[in-house]
Amino acid sequence: MTKLPIKISAKNVDVFYGAAHAIKSVDVEIADKMVTSFIGPSGCGKSTFLRCINRMNDTIDVCRVTGDIMIDMEDIYDRRVDPVQLRAKVGMVFQKPNPFPKSIYDNVAYGPKIHGMARNKLELDEIVEKSLRRAALWDEAKDRLQEPGTGLSGGQQQRLCIARAVATEPEVLLMDEPCSALDPIATAQIEQLIDELRSSYCVVIVTHSMAQASRVSDRTAFFHLGELVEYGYTSHIFTNPSDKRTESYITGRIG
Amino acid sequence: MVSISFPFSMILLIAVIGYFAARRKAIAMVKGNLRQLQALPQAYGQTVFFTTFLPATVILLGWAFVVRIMGPSYALISDGLFQVLVIITAAVGAALSYLRVKPSQRARAISERWIMGVLMAASALAILTTIGIVISMLSESAIFFRQHSWSDFFFGTVWAPNFRGGSQLSILPLLWGTLYISFISLIIAVPVGLYAAIYLSEYASPSLRSVAKPAIEVLAGIPTIVYGLFALITVGPMLRDFFVQPLGLGSSSSSVMTAGLVMGVMLIPFVSSLSDDIINAVPQAMRDGSLGLGATKSETIRQVVVPAALPGIVGAVLLAASRAIGETMIVVLGAGAAARFDLNPFEAMTTVTVKIVSQLTGDTDFASPETLVAFALGLSLFVITLGLNIVALVIVRKYREQYE
Repeated sequence: MTKLPIKISAKNVDVFYGAAHAIKSVDVEIADKMVTSFIGPSGCGKSTFLRCINRMNDTIDVCRVTGDIMIDMEDIYDRRVDPVQLRAKVGMVFQKPNPFPKSIYDNVAYGPKIHGMARNKLELDEIVEKSLRRAALWDEAKDRLQEPGTGLSGGQQQRLCIARAVATEPEVLLMDEPCSALDPIATAQIEQLIDELRSSYCVVIVTHSMAQASRVSDRTAFFHLGELVEYGYTSHIFTNPSDKRTESYITGRIG
Repeated sequence: MVSISFPFSMILLIAVIGYFAARRKAIAMVKGNLRQLQALPQAYGQTVFFTTFLPATVILLGWAFVVRIMGPSYALISDGLFQVLVIITAAVGAALSYLRVKPSQRARAISERWIMGVLMAASALAILTTIGIVISMLSESAIFFRQHSWSDFFFGTVWAPNFRGGSQLSILPLLWGTLYISFISLIIAVPVGLYAAIYLSEYASPSLRSVAKPAIEVLAGIPTIVYGLFALITVGPMLRDFFVQPLGLGSSSSSVMTAGLVMGVMLIPFVSSLSDDIINAVPQAMRDGSLGLGATKSETIRQVVVPAALPGIVGAVLLAASRAIGETMIVVLGAGAAARFDLNPFEAMTTVTVKIVSQLTGDTDFASPETLVAFALGLSLFVITLGLNIVALVIVRKYREQYE
């Protein structure tokens, strides 16, 4: 259904938390330079699946992932793949803004520093400025780079987290309900930002808000009880869903 | 001397009778229909109990205290009359509050206020005790400084008490020993304790943690005299025989190093247990944020988790430092009792606390500078640890502003 290059492709992915079967044989192909959103009721597995794409689930002891997830045709669960390197390539923004207890500058410089991306202070300054501009935070933050990141407002903090993720030059940007802790104005800013990011990255966003999914995304995947029920063009999913469960969810009858 | 036990038991008796009487009266006034009462019947009882018991007890104890301090001649009235007066106070309190019991009385609020008063008195007591300790130290130290020159105490270099007079009593050699031993013990306890805390909170499996954490905390429960014995019979001789003598660094088994090593082991659980709790309190979101950027686990710990936990860790270290400075038993048995300045950590030295003990034991009167110096030493120690705690508070507050 797509002509754009496939960035992420998942085949037969199952996830278990101990005995609980959280994701049931999900197949999905996510295109590059596009925003794909995952929607579904709470506990449907959309966040769990998102966390498989950068292997954040590895940090949970009882979590087990089977099946194949490929990024650029490379199996990210291959034994030769270092999850640490993978996460530099696949950035993540979390539900609650979680800036580090450091200055705004150091928050953004954190990733580039640990990956040795800058040879000197000047290059690092450039990366920080570029990332803050990308996250539409530069104008607000440029005069207070040395102040703690935790002193920013909630929406600014979330944009700082996006800047932090962008600074490591990822190819994929995963966002786990990035606006659920923000007010409508900050949400609108983040959504505008997502719209701008689509030209450079493959963006995958998990959201509880169907309105948000329809506003920001090109493709939408609907998860229910660990299954991928329906996946396709956002306009198609919201106007003419082919599955009964999708229709019930988007019309507000379930979830 | 005021006798307390008889009037006190009378007050208690009246108060208990008042409690039951008030309860019965409250129930009787509404003919058992408890919903017409403003409060539960017990609250009426409590109100009478507190109004009877507390004022009379405070008067009794306060008066006994004043008479004890000022001497019997200050007691304006005879002991017997005073006892009667106190008991009458209780009885009047009981009678007045009993008469006030009626369904519309807000008994619950009144008894709550009494309870708050009791709690407030408890916290005031803790603060007043500290002030009392400082005052008693100050007054004894003042006597000392009238008999002995303060310049020798603070700036002299020799500790040589001589009970025939002409002593040189300088705090500096003792302070040197104290700081040297504390320094060595912290050099051991801080890294080991911190690494143990990081391992336990970040790497260890829950089952290992549930065994290892209590095992480390057992160390905190060992009496320090036992550590001292360990220093005396095991660590000291071993250091001497296998390390110090072969290298020609000295010949003493009592040394700063012996005491420092053993004290370091004693302090490990203080550092590790507190740091572990603090590291655990760092939100998981911080770790996820760092790991999500492609940081390794150790980078995450070094650059995000530990800095976020730093104020608490600094607090834990300073707490350990105060313990080290105040420690006595390990030093007596491990480092000896010789007061001297020396850089060689394998020489015997001693600390302020050890000398406080040695100046106050044996046949002493509390009039000569040789014994009174103990109070000046204690006061100096108190000021040092107070300063340490203030520094700790400032550091913690400074970082907390940044991290919350």
